[in-house]
Amino acid sequence: MKEFSLLRIGHFIRRDIALHKSTFVTGLLVGIVLIFLFSFFNMIWDKQLSQDEFFGTFGLIYIPMGVLFTFSIFKEFNDPKANQLYLSIPISIPERLASKWFTAAILYTLVYTILAIITGILALLFGVVVLTADFNISSLFSIEYWNVLKVYFLVQPFFLVGAISFRKNRIGKTLLFLGILALVFTLFNFLLFGIFNHNYGLFSGDAVISEAFDKTAADFSALGRWFYGLLLGPVMLIVAYFKMKEKEV
Amino acid sequence: MEFDNSKPIYLQIVDFFYENILVKRWADEERIPSVREVAMMVEVNPNTAIRAFNHLQDLGVIHNKRGIGYFVASDGYTKVLNIKRKEFMEQILPDVFKKLNLLDISFDELKNAYNQQKNEEK
Amino acid sequence: MLTIKHLNFNYPKSRFVLKSINLDFTAGNIYGLFGKNGEGKSTLLKIMTGLLFPKNGNCLLEGNEMRKREVQSLHHIFLVPEDFELPAISIRSFEKVQSCFYPQFSKEQFYELIKEFQLSPTDVISKLSFGQKKKVLIAFGIATNTKLLLMDEPTNGLDIPSKSQFRKVMASIADENKCIVISTHQVRDLHSLINHVMILDNAQVAFDQPLDKVSDGLWFGKPSTNDSSEPIYSESSFGGKAILPRLDKNETEVDLELLFNGVLGAPDKINAILNQTQNDERV
Repeated sequence: MKEFSLLRIGHFIRRDIALHKSTFVTGLLVGIVLIFLFSFFNMIWDKQLSQDEFFGTFGLIYIPMGVLFTFSIFKEFNDPKANQLYLSIPISIPERLASKWFTAAILYTLVYTILAIITGILALLFGVVVLTADFNISSLFSIEYWNVLKVYFLVQPFFLVGAISFRKNRIGKTLLFLGILALVFTLFNFLLFGIFNHNYGLFSGDAVISEAFDKTAADFSALGRWFYGLLLGPVMLIVAYFKMKEKEV
Repeated sequence: MEFDNSKPIYLQIVDFFYENILVKRWADEERIPSVREVAMMVEVNPNTAIRAFNHLQDLGVIHNKRGIGYFVASDGYTKVLNIKRKEFMEQILPDVFKKLNLLDISFDELKNAYNQQKNEEK
Repeated sequence: MLTIKHLNFNYPKSRFVLKSINLDFTAGNIYGLFGKNGEGKSTLLKIMTGLLFPKNGNCLLEGNEMRKREVQSLHHIFLVPEDFELPAISIRSFEKVQSCFYPQFSKEQFYELIKEFQLSPTDVISKLSFGQKKKVLIAFGIATNTKLLLMDEPTNGLDIPSKSQFRKVMASIADENKCIVISTHQVRDLHSLINHVMILDNAQVAFDQPLDKVSDGLWFGKPSTNDSSEPIYSESSFGGKAILPRLDKNETEVDLELLFNGVLGAPDKINAILNQTQNDERV
């Protein structure tokens, strides 16, 4: 029998949406209101909504809310009263992972993007009427969007693992873990940087740390991006797979 | 159905059948409930109900028409009457006699009580 | 159908809850799984569903390891846990989002049972009492029509009329293709349904016999004074009930409570007699 069926994935996505409908609706509503207000206030001073301003707001809400949704769709997984029923649903682990990821990453992004753009247009129109701001719709579509998405798609799997791994204070623990990890990597990079650049005598004189970091960023950017991209994205999904496989009630 | 703790449940189901046949709730040649229906009625494992059906079939009280169900035998009533009479004579009556003896109740006394009861029923 | 071989289990940093368990569950039976509190009944059911992993040994459903939680295995098993939480949606929505995972699910049967349990499809599950939630899950579990239906203390939380309803429903669904396992300490509620008894004691299987074998070999009741055979087990109270070797006495109904106490008190004696009768039959 097949252990990977798109039909079951579809069923599982539908199940998550039906079960968390009120969470999703409330979250998205709050998000829309915030986007509208931020966009509107941004237009008060300079009478325009720039790309930076819009996508700043967009990302500020998009990423944390995505993380919250990720945690909410994994609630059953760690709830000792609910997970016996949940884990005995006949659906394989790759299917579970695929459907959860699809819901929290793809589906959420699509819905949120559409809502955000509609809200942006409304805010703009409102701004034009009330504040006589410029109607600059192009600021809702830009390359910035993909950067925000990239960050989310890399960070989200990490929180997905956190949502699976911890039973209580899941968000707090995941953030703490992420913080420690970031610290370790900074230190590690600093060491690497020191080793690689020792000969340049950067540490001998009055080199400023920030200057050093700038150089590191330039040096490691290509390699580092791949390294962290891989670490946070796909590898985390693999970790999530094994965490789910080994899960007991 | 409330069960008596000492008698095997399947025999209690058999008794339930006997009673239905004796009071003519189930007439001769009439179709009776299925195994599953009886199991549900008395809240028992279907295997227990099957045992009761087999027991009755062995005694010739009921018979199975393939694909249709179980029926009371054409002489079902007479058979049950004989079985229950025998049971009464062999098992209940000796106990009654023992009690009569123990309590020193004469046969005449018993006869009077019996007649009185009969009269009241009329 | 489901086989447990040399199974050991313990929770992290604690003693063994289950030790060298060997059990075989076959279709057409209703198993009663008994044991004192904390003797690992729930743990065993969870292992059978693949929710806990054995430390040693296997739990195989038609040859497949349950711990892998493969779809093909999970299709055939449904567990009604003792304590559980259902989503805060209506019964109808719950059926819609959950039943699609079970290929043999019967909507008709589910709604019939819901009606029989005096619930309405529009009831929101989170607003129901615990007993009512249990009925929803029992109805759902039955309607999945899985080959294996495991129930952990199903009558806990049910009122007296509901218990009778439950027995009726169970009697109606039991058939030769289905294997039902009911764990309980409320022996009285279910004794007419069960046809095979398993007793766990001291983390081990103390007893595993079909009831017809038990009623063949043992006699239950108040022994008369002229009874020659020595009781295998008797309740200490005056005129108390006892278990005797049946020999040529009339068959009695198995008194499960007495059997349970007897097995805890004198497991070797009882098992010896039953195995004896088994051997006799083989000759």
